[in-house]
Amino acid sequence: MTSRALEQFLASVEKRAFKIAQLGLRNDDDALDAVQDAMMKLVQSYGSRNSEEWRPLFYRILANRIHDMQRRRTVRGRIMAWLPMRTDDEDEEYDPVAQAPSPEVTPARRLEIDEAIGTLEVAIQELPPRQQQAFLLRNFEGLDVAETASAMGCSEGSVKTHYFRALESLRARLGEVF
Amino acid sequence: MSHEDPGEFEKRTREVLEESTARLDGRTLSRLTQARHAALEKQGRPARPAWRTVMPLGAAAAGVLAVVMITGPGGEGTALGPANSAVDDLELLSDAPDFVDDGEDLEFYEWAAGEIES
Repeated sequence: MTSRALEQFLASVEKRAFKIAQLGLRNDDDALDAVQDAMMKLVQSYGSRNSEEWRPLFYRILANRIHDMQRRRTVRGRIMAWLPMRTDDEDEEYDPVAQAPSPEVTPARRLEIDEAIGTLEVAIQELPPRQQQAFLLRNFEGLDVAETASAMGCSEGSVKTHYFRALESLRARLGEVF
Repeated sequence: MSHEDPGEFEKRTREVLEESTARLDGRTLSRLTQARHAALEKQGRPARPAWRTVMPLGAAAAGVLAVVMITGPGGEGTALGPANSAVDDLELLSDAPDFVDDGEDLEFYEWAAGEIES
């Protein structure tokens, strides 16, 4: 019963969690790793908790994981800079399947959506991390203020401030487009 | 759109993000499903044994320590960067609780330490 409920919960959040991680890390593979790590941590450490607690816990774990990966990326960059004539891209191959978009949308509609998504995602990526987090958890994931505060590890007042500032920044930047 | 209405702006941004999520490619969706199944398989299993967390961390820390010794004050490898950066890195590695859960990164740091020593 718990296993089934956990599966349903993870299935319900995995796409939005991936998008949040993707916006934070700007890399699909890293985003997938972050989501999988968060799923495993939730299942192993908090699976027995009340299911109402899972969502803020899951996003708290994911946020910590994204933060860890961002810091580790900085360290990795320093070490790679020390090593002569090596790059991160040497072993990477172009994968056309991974780059292929979903096929259901018409070209005209796709162009319109592409522009809107691209503009919004760039604007979100350029928000300060805490504002980005507050905006995505509140607006996109739909957590309430208390859940967002739990997920972010801060007070509800801070959530409101971060969210308000994020909205102001996005509105100032996207008001003409949106 | 009507950016004079705050609710409308929030609604519009949410719709665009939802659309972006709905258009995730098949490979990503497949990998998310695999990740979910892999996580559920871990349910009820004990966490990684302690020896598996301590030994790789020690090896990684030793590698970073070697870098500190090479590049620190009086060391030879001044081309590798400021010594303080290496000390900061050591603190960061020892400060990251999830570090020991990531085998890929452990392999990377072990490899990097070997490259520097060779």
